[in-house]
Amino acid sequence: MELLLQTILNGLLMSGVYALVATGLALSLGVVGIVNFAHGEFLMVGAFLSYLLFAFRGTDPLLSLGLAFLAAFGVGALTYQGLIRPALKAPELNQMLLTFGLSILLQNLALLLFGADTRVVAPPYQATTLSLGPFFLGAVPLGAFLLSLAILLGLQVFLTRSRLGLAMRAVSQNRLAPGLLGIEAERVYLLAFGLAAALAGVAGVMLSVMLYASPTVGFIFTLKSFAIVALAGLGNLKGVVPAAFVLALAEALVSTYLPGGGGLVEAVFFLVLFLALVVRAWRLA
Amino acid sequence: MRGANHLPLILLFLPFALLPSLPLGGWGAFLLDVGFFVLLFTALALSWDLVARTGQLSLAHGAFFGLGAYGAGLLAPQVGTLPALLLGAAVAGAGALILGSVTLRLHGLYFAIASLAFSEVLRTLALKLPFTGGPIGLPVPPPFGGTWPLAAYYLSFSVLLLATALSLWAEKSPFRLAQAATRQSEAVARVLGVRVIRVKLWSLLLGSWVAGLAGGVYGMKTLFLSPYDAFSLGRAVEALVIPIFGGLYTTLGPLVGGVVLVSLEQALRLWIKEGYLVVYGAILILVILFLPRGLVGILGRRRG
Repeated sequence: MELLLQTILNGLLMSGVYALVATGLALSLGVVGIVNFAHGEFLMVGAFLSYLLFAFRGTDPLLSLGLAFLAAFGVGALTYQGLIRPALKAPELNQMLLTFGLSILLQNLALLLFGADTRVVAPPYQATTLSLGPFFLGAVPLGAFLLSLAILLGLQVFLTRSRLGLAMRAVSQNRLAPGLLGIEAERVYLLAFGLAAALAGVAGVMLSVMLYASPTVGFIFTLKSFAIVALAGLGNLKGVVPAAFVLALAEALVSTYLPGGGGLVEAVFFLVLFLALVVRAWRLA
Repeated sequence: MRGANHLPLILLFLPFALLPSLPLGGWGAFLLDVGFFVLLFTALALSWDLVARTGQLSLAHGAFFGLGAYGAGLLAPQVGTLPALLLGAAVAGAGALILGSVTLRLHGLYFAIASLAFSEVLRTLALKLPFTGGPIGLPVPPPFGGTWPLAAYYLSFSVLLLATALSLWAEKSPFRLAQAATRQSEAVARVLGVRVIRVKLWSLLLGSWVAGLAGGVYGMKTLFLSPYDAFSLGRAVEALVIPIFGGLYTTLGPLVGGVVLVSLEQALRLWIKEGYLVVYGAILILVILFLPRGLVGILGRRRG
């Protein structure tokens, strides 16, 4: 029983970061209408930024969070201006190929620059654990979870209270009407895409401590985020958090209870994605 | 279009048919190797284009390739070369059927995402399952007991001929119209009486068979398979960049693109070991943005 509760707890703590990354993906999909295969690469940029700052400047990852937010926002905005905007009216196949190409380009650029090694950012508090009765909580996963939650709440307030946030939701609901009301859709797209990248960048800093920074660290998160977004329903922001919890919980259960589950954890997201698609196809039929 | 000009095709194939008999001296072995990979990956590219003609973005061609490679590699010692290749292709087809039956009813982007996830998961499974040799890898016997050194080259040539024939058939028959209608608007295609899902599933199945065959031949050439190699994402990238570079939805495009890009890759591989996919990523972005109809598109415009 205690093992089960500890497993659920581990899943819960991981779900925060998952939700953060997947919310970014849902944002670019829902608002801009772009399937961004390079979403995980923004995460990788954040993770490597955190690693480089820590390795050469000794910067605490907590400080890197803000920098990564800005840097990833910049990368996202540049990507939008250079690649996405010219292709907004292109066929969907071309758009997907474009972001897929960017993903391949950035991944292999990182591979050429940094090699395939995994690099961990290890601040002094990395291995600290807090005990809560019979359960153990890593300080870093707990901190990442709370921070992710805070950021997502902030995003929620931004989307429901501020004019810009409302504009974003308006654009995501209807392509034409917001323009008639004087909302400049292209600026909103730029902001949404940058924001989506920034969310991934922040998550990347967290993962550089919890997991590692490597050229392919983002790729697997792209896939997991797609699984979460498919489970939540495309572009549905509200469903992302529970869907992220489902995936994180399933992974935690597999890694605890399945013999030799360590390697199979990386296949769990596919099961979730597959089931989500089966249900969707079945409902449609 | 009947009786169209086949001259470019013949001119492309002729050097490859003659390659084994040319007196190349010390370069012969190297050029035959390059030729082998050009033929094989061009076939893979054609099989990708076959699926893309219905508007589906398949990122699972690396997985079909790997399924064929492992299927043929595991079966070859028991049943012999050719049956093993066919069975490997059948395994790839089964994978395609599972993937397609779930996703092809849905919006196209679900298929793209699921196909990418499919290839990642198959690599994880190949690493973990008991009979694949896991991360250590799987030794594969050479074709026909290794009695004929050129066997792999000619097998590769045959796969490309088959892929070209399939592609030409799909281009010249009414199937092309069904594919194009499906790509341009599924709703309209359905109204016109096209069985959209059946067209998509058949295209995917044909594509996966060819990709599986190519994978099987690949294993018999390299004599060794590892999950990282056989199921690598790089394979899917090559399979899609080649047709896009050469010219989508044509037979000539992937052929031209394959000859150019795979030769380039074999040359670049001498200098860049890891991360040569940078080139493919950059080509993909540039061609989509500035040259959406590929090399064949430029030539076609100039001619007419």
